[in-house]
Amino acid sequence: MGLGARGRRIEGKTEGKRGSVNIVSARQSASGASIRISRLEKRFGAVSAVDGVDIDIAAGEFIALLGPSGSGKTTILMSVAGFEFPTSGTIHVDSEDLTYVPSNRRNLGMVFQNYTLFPHMSILDNVAFPLKMRGLRTAERHARAEAALATVRLAGYGHRRPNELSGGQQQRVALARAIVYQPRVLLMDEPLSALDKNLREDMQLEIKRLHAELGITVIFVTHDQSEALTMADRIAVLRDGKIQQIGPARQLYERPANLFTAGFIGEMNFVDVRVESVGDDVAVALPWGETWRLPATAAVEPAVAGEAAVLAVRPERLQLGVSPAGQVIAVTLSDVVYAGAALLLIGHLPDGTEMRARIPGASQLSSLVPGDVASFTIPTEAMLLYRGKRR
Amino acid sequence: MKPPTDRGSLALGAYVYAVLAFIIVPLVIVIPMSFSQNDYLAFPPSGFTLKWYSEYFDSRQWRAATWLSVQVALLTALFASVIGTAATYAMIRGHSRLVTAFQIALIGPIIVPHIALAVGLYLFFQTIGLSGTIPGFVLAHTVLTLPFVVFTMAAALGKVDANLEAAAMSCGATRFQAFRLVTLPLVLPSLASSALFAFIISFDEPVVSFFLSGVRQKTLPRRMFEDIEQNLTPVIPAIATLLIMLSILILLGAHVLRSRSVTR
Amino acid sequence: MTEAGRSHFWHSDGRRLSGLSTLLLLLPFFTIIAFVFVYPILQLLVISILEPHPTLDNYARVVENPVHMRVLMRTLWTAMLVTALSVVLGFPVAYYMSRAKGTVAALVAVCVILPLWSSVLVRTAAWSFLFQRNGLINSALMSLGLTSQPFKLLYTQSAVVIAMTHVLLPFMILPIYGALRSIPNDYGRAAAVLGATRLRTFLEVILPLSLPGVVSGSLLVFLTALGFFITPALLGSPQEMMISTLVSKQIREVLDWPFAAALVGVLTVFVTLLAIIFSKMLRFDRLMGNAS
Repeated sequence: MGLGARGRRIEGKTEGKRGSVNIVSARQSASGASIRISRLEKRFGAVSAVDGVDIDIAAGEFIALLGPSGSGKTTILMSVAGFEFPTSGTIHVDSEDLTYVPSNRRNLGMVFQNYTLFPHMSILDNVAFPLKMRGLRTAERHARAEAALATVRLAGYGHRRPNELSGGQQQRVALARAIVYQPRVLLMDEPLSALDKNLREDMQLEIKRLHAELGITVIFVTHDQSEALTMADRIAVLRDGKIQQIGPARQLYERPANLFTAGFIGEMNFVDVRVESVGDDVAVALPWGETWRLPATAAVEPAVAGEAAVLAVRPERLQLGVSPAGQVIAVTLSDVVYAGAALLLIGHLPDGTEMRARIPGASQLSSLVPGDVASFTIPTEAMLLYRGKRR
Repeated sequence: MKPPTDRGSLALGAYVYAVLAFIIVPLVIVIPMSFSQNDYLAFPPSGFTLKWYSEYFDSRQWRAATWLSVQVALLTALFASVIGTAATYAMIRGHSRLVTAFQIALIGPIIVPHIALAVGLYLFFQTIGLSGTIPGFVLAHTVLTLPFVVFTMAAALGKVDANLEAAAMSCGATRFQAFRLVTLPLVLPSLASSALFAFIISFDEPVVSFFLSGVRQKTLPRRMFEDIEQNLTPVIPAIATLLIMLSILILLGAHVLRSRSVTR
Repeated sequence: MTEAGRSHFWHSDGRRLSGLSTLLLLLPFFTIIAFVFVYPILQLLVISILEPHPTLDNYARVVENPVHMRVLMRTLWTAMLVTALSVVLGFPVAYYMSRAKGTVAALVAVCVILPLWSSVLVRTAAWSFLFQRNGLINSALMSLGLTSQPFKLLYTQSAVVIAMTHVLLPFMILPIYGALRSIPNDYGRAAAVLGATRLRTFLEVILPLSLPGVVSGSLLVFLTALGFFITPALLGSPQEMMISTLVSKQIREVLDWPFAAALVGVLTVFVTLLAIIFSKMLRFDRLMGNAS
């Protein structure tokens, strides 16, 4: 679904004007700005919240910062917004150095987690607030605020108070307030995490639609990987203040750059192995004594003979039954879970390592019961090899 | 559904209402006494007259004392609420290592006996000529009322999401605009009620006023003190009744402000 | 432009105020506290040990003179008595208040809070009316035939204790009420479900959990009572002075500043030490939170 769009996005990122084609023509010059974050560091005492982060964001790109709490994703966003000043490093927006510019002079749109609507103002005044700060006359303020409300499908709600709106509506108002002055960058700090699941999915689409309409550059902070995978052109995975990997969703999912990303994004099976030799292919010894020869491309990180390594494979890539297309493993099943679209099989390899498999077409497989030993084939191209040991 | 009544509950209820009577009767008793025709304060009061009220309102001395106390209380309310709010805002939104000093500065005026402060200020203000002056009273009362302002404002400002100001700034507002247009309107009811409390604390403050009052410049509490100490005329119940009404009005005002507060 | 860590003093870090703005906003507060609170009290303490010449004689006079010692002991005893009476009278009210609902709760709250915000002078004056030879109490006693002669009530230590208890009672009730209110109702119910009688629930659940409030209220009442001036000055006997009235006499009649300063020093240092020792248990915010 989203992949096609994402692909186009990357090709077209240097132009970044795609939005201007299909948005309402009344909206002037709403293209996004490019952002360059270089060698960003933020220390709080001895703790590094952000530790040498470089990100180049193309004009009009939608980028998600994804990571567990404390990974530094919010600090990066706040540095771009001007609510944190970095210890070192720079932030350029369209080649203008904004590193130490006060937030109110950055002209960036910002949406916070908890709506942050001004409770004593009407919805219209909330949305018109940035225009008031920019000295526009009342009539024009109101006209443009009404238009922004219409963009987020809240036309006619202007006279209400924030507390008369639902959470989703409030967040749409916050969105309208952030885009009403046509900023070239929109920053969002976990904007959907306060909403319930259904609303969150609606809002994801709403934000994607707005992004497409406005052509604005978006930095979106989230801890929810499916949100990041669904919405963003590129995702930066962060851990302990460092970028682990940055790339489009497909790349992150199919070829995670390191063990952390491999474990953080989606489900992954890990098996500890030992590298025996490295040549045209990589020979690895498995804990139960077998040796497998993997194609050299399986080694995401360079494999070194004699060192420990981890073999990773996604549960949905396992195939039930014996096939010549890959390596065969015998799994003693401990749980057979019916999970709608797929059947989740949980079991153990001969050495006790847990192994999960998600097999589509669940109804035909109902004969499997815990205690069975099932054979699975791991297709050669589904195997990834990392250095180190699993945690 | 009624809670089960038993002897324990009844006894508790009786005891509690006896204590409440102990608390409230001495306050209420002055009201009938203020309308009594007796020249001496005998009980039960007899007849009905407003002469003690007119004696209060007609007396140049009582009026002067009241006017002085009103001026002092108004200025105290103004100073304490502005200084206290600024300090509280700085502690909540600022970069400061002064937390401990701040807490000591707040608890000090509550803990240290007023007689100690009164005597110290008496000596200090005599030497710099502030004794018996409006600025002297206002400074002293500001110290006494600041803790109450800070407690009220800390509760109120603590409830205003820091991200609201951040949101305002990301919309282009300066820090000051963010405070004036977003935070201030949200804490205004609390600010007003802390000013009300500062007013009534200053207006009723007896100890520091007692020592700082000069021969000419006497606050209302000091005049009352002298009257109670020396001759205890029935003007006192009249004034007491008026002061109780003032307290009720101020508590009502604070209650209304509280119920209007958005950040409640 | 790579600045290695900009000083938070000169620059806001964006969300927080800069150190400079913080300081400027705090300046009036600390200035007024320094000059109108700290300085005058320190000056008194200095006088008490430096005048007429560097000496501790002024303090020696406090402890060596049996009359002055009796004043100290009377002050201490009165403060303790007032505190004890306040607990006995205040706890049930606080408990009742925390359980009451609707109009009853509002009524009780008004009875507790209104006195807190009405003048101490008004409350003291009211007691001097009640305690008069022909005041309410004597009239009532005589009309009930309990006594033929009016009692001398005014200008006695009992009058001081009763009136001070009356004035300080809200300072006891509100912290206890605060502590009781923060006990979830479920605790009592849980104890009841587990088979505890109401008395045992009270003794083993409610009472221990309300103890911080009792301690906080007791400290507040005790510390305030130690330095209380208005009530002893107006209702007490000149023969039975308390520290505050003795200080006032030294200043207004005897004009013995160094000795008055030493008395204030004893009082202030004692109160401050107690406040420091028990600082963790003092909760002032509760007073305000409930009053407004």
